[in-house]
Parts: sequence; structure tokens; C-alpha cells
Amino acid sequence: MATRTLKTSILSLGRIHCHIYGVNVRNPLNRATYATALSINTSSQNKGFPDRGNRGPFNRRSRREAGDPRTDRMPVEQDWTAVYPTATPFRQGSVPLPVRMGFPVKKGVPPEKKGNLELIKIPNFLHLTPLAIKKHCEALKPFCTEWPSALDTGAKCDEHFPVKVESKDYVSAGTSLRNPSARIVHLRVSFCVNYDYAMYLLTVLYHESWKMEAWESEKTVADMEEYSWEDSPSQKNIMSTLVRMQVEGEGEAVREELLGRPEVQEYRDSVTRLKNEGESESSMHQYRDAVKKLLNL
Amino acid sequence: MALHRLSFRLRQTVAQVRPLHGSGCGQQQEAVGMELETRPETLSIFRTQENDPACQSEQHLGQYYTVPPSHFHTVFPHGLPPRYQQQVKTFNEGCVMVRQPALELISHLKRADYSKPTMRYLLYGVKGSGKTMSLCHTVHYCSTQGWLVLHIPDAHLWVKNCKELLPSSYHASRFDQPIQASNWLRNFRTTNEHFLSKIKLRQRYVWTKRESTEEGRPLGELVDMGVSRVKSSSDVVGAVLKELRLQAGGTEGGFRLAVAVDGVNGLWGRTTLKKEDKSPVAPEELTLVHNLRKMINNDWCGGAVIATLSQTGSLYAPSSAYLPQELLGEEGFDSMDPFVPVPVSLYSEKEFESCYLYYLDRHWLQHPHSRTEEGKKELIFLSNRNPSVLERLCAFL
Repeated sequence: MATRTLKTSILSLGRIHCHIYGVNVRNPLNRATYATALSINTSSQNKGFPDRGNRGPFNRRSRREAGDPRTDRMPVEQDWTAVYPTATPFRQGSVPLPVRMGFPVKKGVPPEKKGNLELIKIPNFLHLTPLAIKKHCEALKPFCTEWPSALDTGAKCDEHFPVKVESKDYVSAGTSLRNPSARIVHLRVSFCVNYDYAMYLLTVLYHESWKMEAWESEKTVADMEEYSWEDSPSQKNIMSTLVRMQVEGEGEAVREELLGRPEVQEYRDSVTRLKNEGESESSMHQYRDAVKKLLNL
Repeated sequence: MALHRLSFRLRQTVAQVRPLHGSGCGQQQEAVGMELETRPETLSIFRTQENDPACQSEQHLGQYYTVPPSHFHTVFPHGLPPRYQQQVKTFNEGCVMVRQPALELISHLKRADYSKPTMRYLLYGVKGSGKTMSLCHTVHYCSTQGWLVLHIPDAHLWVKNCKELLPSSYHASRFDQPIQASNWLRNFRTTNEHFLSKIKLRQRYVWTKRESTEEGRPLGELVDMGVSRVKSSSDVVGAVLKELRLQAGGTEGGFRLAVAVDGVNGLWGRTTLKKEDKSPVAPEELTLVHNLRKMINNDWCGGAVIATLSQTGSLYAPSSAYLPQELLGEEGFDSMDPFVPVPVSLYSEKEFESCYLYYLDRHWLQHPHSRTEEGKKELIFLSNRNPSVLERLCAFL
């Protein structure tokens, strides 16, 4: 027991000193730098390491000795929720299982759990055993109300609650709380709803939508869903151009007459089409022909 | 002897080429045959001797005409695309292909009524389809017809990469760009030497407490002042544009004004320039852009505005955008409206033939495989008949 302790402590010391001096005696590829049961450096424990005295960062003399791992003292009927009450990284001294993980050492097996970084990196659910979850439920029970006894069949639930909203939550012990699939929410409506009520609702909504609120008059051009040619810069431009081309007098009558002309109508249609439908070769051609006709080219 | 061999080789390629041209060929042959007596007939399938843009017509479509060397420095001090300038230096001649968009523009310009408000024409098309070259062709026409040409080679140059941004003395919230303005004035002076002494100023311009330009002085004096006094060059540009706008199409000593802007979508959009407090500069806060926008409005008469859209130098525009509304934006479209959009397409089969024969003639295609039929088909496939892509491909061969 004592020798084993010494060996582990020497091993741990050797490993630490390896890191300090940047010397990786074990394996330059860093593949299996995990501690193996064979200790290579026991003889050279003091060779390369000059005595730093009491001032070194790892003061060996006053350093506390590492004790036995907890696994040695675990009875079979222990309370596991006390060992792992919350989500914590893997602790090889607290998990009494001979787990192995990682790429096998040459002609060997996957490295053991002692000092195994691979086991520490991955998420674990050691804190969510069935017993632990039962305990959680027991703790939450005071905050819950009873399920209504009348709603014992699915049919009754559908009848009283025709609209159902389903959302999903995802649990994972990882670096991020979020799971993008959790954003999807399903809303279900069954069709055997009260028809009259539905009709009434739709009628009310329809009439409400026609009411003009005071703030609706503040709608700006940028808010409009569709492009309307009246009062647009395009109309103003073309009107001023045509008026200047006409040479005859100004006035409302001239504008009205200009607006009524078929070329102007065509131009208006082409601009509206361009703006509403977006651009394409054909809409550009239509605009081109309209402008040419209008400006007598 | 070399010439004989050359013409023999070309005759062979021409013999293959002839079926492609079809019915148009016969007309071309006759017209071209009448014009020239010195050059052998085979060399002029892709060339025309009609070097005056005013006399070119549909029969010259797809053929190259040579810009006289004397015109190069006066008409195009800054307007040509850089790769084309290199090509001109290499081939020792500047040949421009006569294409449909340019011919259409020229015919509009010929028939337009210059007492009406200015017509705006917008050349648009995919990248590399020949918009700038068509613009230069039209500018050449305007210049040979004695118009005053205001050529802005790339409006995007005014909204990006400006090292010095001075606050304007004339208007508090605007910014001046002295270097760009003085460069442009210098080139403007080169292009329009003969107009500078004829046009007289109609207004008095005060630059500083001691300096002013009086009414009635020639425009050349104003331009010289702008070139030498770099600080006020942006305001000089504004004054020049204003004078030209007022005087174009005037009855006494009137001249026609052509405003040729390449990359006009740069005027409405965003800039990459920042003020001292790191807030972005809007285009209308730049004096040069502000004044140019006034020129593009159609509230003056006696000239035309010919513009091209360009995605190549544009800021914050996706590379697949080429249609007017995408590149101009809402504001730009409303300002340009109503304009005549002129689409510039890729080379047609005939135009591709001409280009290919021209490169062969100039010994630009050195690779032996490029002279074969399969080589030509490969070129068609690789370039998709896009003029600039073809030019870059042939540069490797």
C-alpha cells in the first residue's frame, strides 16, 4: 500500500516536472501521454531536477500528500447522489468503474481512467441516475397541482382544449445551454371546433381590420407593402419632363391631360411592375419601350 | 512574302468562317470592297475603314474601326479601361468594335431634339460585356461631332480611397476632395482645349478675400486656377459644371454637352470614407458627388447624359448584380428616372468571330492549337463569349 502510494506520488511528480521543463520523455507525438502502469522514470526522479529549495513553485517538503482515492472506500449500497449531486466533470477517483477510453497504446488497450483527459472532456450524466431524478421529482412535487381527475381520457382533453401547443426542451451537459431544435414550437388545432364561434371571430376580425387607427396615418413610404405610382418621385419626374417638353401652358388641366395619355399609362405600368415584381430582362425591356414611346425616340 | 503567307492563312480561316456569317456577309463584302482598294479583301472581314463614328451603321456591326492616334490623347486621357490601354500599347493601334448598343446610342443622339430636357441613357449588362467600351465609342462620336465632353471615368473613385478630405469652405457640412478634383480638371482641360477659350463665365466667383474670377473671363482661366490651387479645386469643379449646364444648348454660341459617367451607381450608395469621428460620410456630403448629381438631373437642355453601371468598383454590391435597380438603389433609380436603359450583351457569334480574327491578325494568339477549329470552340466554351474573359484568356495564349 505504501509502495503503491509512493509510486503514484512519484509518477505524479514526474509528470508535473515533465511539463515544467517542456521535456516530453514519454511520447513526442502526444498520443499516449497518459500515465501507464509501467513507470519509466522512477530511477531518474531526481536527476534532471535541481533542488529548488523551499522557494520553488512546487514545494515538495510542505506539500500535502495525496490520499487514497474515494473509490477504495465506497460500499455497494452507497448513496450515489451524494457522490455526484450536480453536473461535474469526470473524477477518476470518485467513479468506481474500470473505464477505459482513448486510442490504444501500441499493442495495447485504450488507456485507463487515471489521468485520462478524454474522459474529462466529454459530457457525463453521472448526476442524472434514475434515483437522482426521482429525488428531483419529489422535491418539485410541492410546487405542482394535481392533474384534473375529469380529464382522464385523451378524447376529453381534445374536447376541452382543442388548441395544443407543443414545445421541446433539450438537456445536454455541454458548453452551451442552447439547442436550436428547441426553437421549434408546434401548434395544433383540431377541426371539430365550434363552427359558429369561429365564424363570429372571423367577422369581428374582418370589421376590426377596416377601422383606421390614428397612428396609421403616420404610415410612410418605406412602410408601404406595394409600390404606388401616384405621388411617387417617378411620377413627379415624368410630369415635370413632359410639361417642359410640351411648351404649352402649365396648370392642372395640362397635367390631367398628360396623365390620361396611353403612353403615360404604359410608363406607369412598367415602373410599377419594375418596383413590385423586381427586375428582370423582360421588365427592363418593357420599361425601355415605354420610355422610348413617351419621349418620342 | 510574310504578308502573302498571312493573307493565305487568313483566306483559309475565312473560307471556313464564311458560312457562319450567312447573308450579311455578301453585303459587307460589297460595301467594304468599295471603300478600300489598297488592302487585300481578306483582311477586312473584321475591320472597317470607316473611322468616323458618325458614318458607321448596321453594316459595320462586328467590325473593328481604328481610332486615329491623335484622338487618343485628347479624347481619352482617362476614360479607357486599363487592360484596353495596355492592349493599345501592345498592338500599336486602338481598334474598337462597332457593336449594337453603341450604334443605338449614337442613333438616338443623332435624332434627339436638343431643345427638350436632357435625355438620360444608361448602359447596363453583366460584368465584362463591354459597357465602358461602348461608352468610349459614344464619347468618340460626340467628340468628333464637336460636342463638349464631360467624361467622368469612374464615379466610384470619388467615393472611396480618398486620403484627404477637407471640410468645404463653401458649404459647412460638405467635404472636398482636392486631389481627385484637380486630377479630373487636368484631364478635362486636355479633352476640351478648344472650348476653354470660347466659353465665357456668366457669373463672378469669389474664391478667397483676394481672389476672384470675374464675369466674362474664359472658362480656361477658371480651370487653370482649379488645377493650380488644389485646395479650392472641388469648388472650381462645381462652378465649371454649373456654367456648362447654364450655357449648353444656348442660342448664341451654343454647344452640345455630353456628360459621360462610368459607374454612375457610385453616386447613390455608400462610401467607404469616414469623418474624423469615425462616422461614415454619405455621398451627398461630398461636393463633387453633389455637383455631379445636379448634372445628371434633366432640368437643363442641350445635351445628353450617358452613363454606365458598374459592379466592378462598386461598394457593398453583390458581384452578381447587374440590373439597374439592383445597382442604383431606390434613390438612384428615382433620380435617373425616366431614362432609356440600353442593354449590353455578350458577343454574338459574328462579333466573336471578328474578335478572334483580330487577335489572329495581331499575332496575339501564339499557341498553335488556338488556330484550329477545336481551339476556337474551346475558347467559345471557356469564355462564354464574354469579351473581357476572352481577352484575358487570349492573353495567356
